[in-house]
Amino acid sequence: MTISVASSTQPAHLSAETTALLGRLILILLIAGALTVVDPGFASVSNLLNMLRQASLLFLIASGLTLVIIGGGLDLSVGANLTLSACLAAAAIKTTGNPWYGVVVAIVTGTLIGSVNGLMINRLQLPPFLATFGMLWVAQGVAYWFMAGQTIYGMPTSFRYFGTGFLLGVPLPIWIMLAVCLACSILLHRTTFGREAYFMGANQSAAFLSGVPVERRRLLLYMLSGLTSGIAALVYLARLNAAEPGIGEPLLLPAIAAVLVGGTSLFGGSGNIVGTVLGAVLLTIIVNGLNLLNVAATWHPFVNGAVVLIAILADLVISQRRSGST
Amino acid sequence: MRTTRLFRCVLAALICGTLSHSAARADGETIAAFTKNQVDPHFEGVRAGVAQMAEKMRATVKYYTPTKPNNITEGMSQLEDVGVTKPKLMLFMPIDAKAQVPTVKRLIESGLPIINYNDRGGDAPYLSFIGQDDYKLGYDIAKTLFDHLGGKGNVVILEGVKGSTTGDERKRGFDAAVKDYPNIKVLASQPANFQRLLGMQTMENLIQQFSSIDGVISAADASALGAIEALNAAGRKNVAVVSINGVPEAVEAVKAGSLLAIAEFDGFKIGCVATAVGLNAIRGQSVPKQVIIPGAIITKANYAPWLVPYKDRTCPPADAYKGG
Repeated sequence: MTISVASSTQPAHLSAETTALLGRLILILLIAGALTVVDPGFASVSNLLNMLRQASLLFLIASGLTLVIIGGGLDLSVGANLTLSACLAAAAIKTTGNPWYGVVVAIVTGTLIGSVNGLMINRLQLPPFLATFGMLWVAQGVAYWFMAGQTIYGMPTSFRYFGTGFLLGVPLPIWIMLAVCLACSILLHRTTFGREAYFMGANQSAAFLSGVPVERRRLLLYMLSGLTSGIAALVYLARLNAAEPGIGEPLLLPAIAAVLVGGTSLFGGSGNIVGTVLGAVLLTIIVNGLNLLNVAATWHPFVNGAVVLIAILADLVISQRRSGST
Repeated sequence: MRTTRLFRCVLAALICGTLSHSAARADGETIAAFTKNQVDPHFEGVRAGVAQMAEKMRATVKYYTPTKPNNITEGMSQLEDVGVTKPKLMLFMPIDAKAQVPTVKRLIESGLPIINYNDRGGDAPYLSFIGQDDYKLGYDIAKTLFDHLGGKGNVVILEGVKGSTTGDERKRGFDAAVKDYPNIKVLASQPANFQRLLGMQTMENLIQQFSSIDGVISAADASALGAIEALNAAGRKNVAVVSINGVPEAVEAVKAGSLLAIAEFDGFKIGCVATAVGLNAIRGQSVPKQVIIPGAIITKANYAPWLVPYKDRTCPPADAYKGG
């Protein structure tokens, strides 16, 4: 019964998403085309790889957030989760000299923080905003305490391959982004879990009454969000070669923006992971393009904000036309 | 005779008692020490300097630092808290001088003596200013790079936070040095906000834009270290990078040769001197209106003293506390 309800809504749902994705793609191509005309260097392979590598970090944080938001939740702790995971992983690597301890520590820390978020929302009935906002401060506070104002730097070369290495001429962070995107896509569109996540986001009560184990699914969604923050922490650490207690904080709002610009509804029930990739790429292209054009930094926030608004307004217009035509 | 001796003994005891009592009253003050964040090792240096000098002069310190780095709202709340707790001395560095000066003025009017340290804090009647000359640091380090390049070449500038006194003054210093070297071409000047990630990403974009970069001037170590990562990843290892600060990680980079030089902006010394000057002032001594601590240029030839962890450093000798 559950599956039939979910799948009956799916075709129209996917169609709307396809329209939104095409809109994003066209916007990106228009901006890219304009930038290529102004500066042919923009379309060079090295610059495109450079932009995708920069977008990968943003995407990794935003990917788990996308899953949570589709399921009707919110995770404000992703940036702080990245910070704490990176700091603890850096300490583990420096202490043991073995990069794999760092990998395990980051993954476990990230997932653990996600689990606590899920449990707080399930068991204590805390609103996701408050639970994850509280966790943001707890994780950040532990990171401050643990680091005591210091920076841990100098990771082993073997570990740095995660962030600086190449596979088939493509930077490894881009491969990691593609792998996470593929995994999330399969999860969302090819599994019962994914369909149930959409169902929960669209109507939690109906999902519960239809037999969806809402609490278990929610816990898993937050664990996945924590997991992707842990993976992002590893990529960050490997790329920058250092962990500081304030690294994740500036990434929270751009991550939320990437999810929303990618077409995922903040109210849950719609959106997809490919959209988030496009959202992250779009936000990165804007900064890269403004730098290439030597636009004064004073104007960067304005242009960023304008493009985000245009993307969201375009969505609104398209959805209104669709509802008008049906 | 015996009575006179007894009287003298009692009098001596009374005088000693009074003196020791007044000595005890001269220390034990509480100091409120402000720093801008818990993420930049520079401010860890400031706190270490304040702690060492306060312990030496028998005062106690309470630190005020925003939980969110450089957050002006939190900074304002903490200023208001100090108005309630009323320490004997405040060491203040602004997050946003213009926004915070009115509150600082009110605190001074209420009788709280305040030393302004690290960053200039506007036109409030501070007891003294203790810091360094950001303009000169910017000028000196840019000149060091340009001399290294033989007076010609293409350079990029990674600025600090636009609108901050520190960032703007350092940039003014860079620009002044550029004017003195007509064969130096500034390809781009982008903000990196004293941050490592932004330093790296800005540098990655500049690498795409310019095929020939000979030098990088960074307003802070963190963004310079990020830029070095970007340059190494792009295989451009012969680009000379200079910065300002001198945190241990950056000094390690000087030792390793990946960073050419650093203009020393020493938080530890600033913390030491500000605490000493402030305590001397509230203990009745006259103090200079400002102490500008000179900054050395840290290179591969002289880096060793800056590799010592902050907790193992010793506050500078009395010469450093004279006004300039």
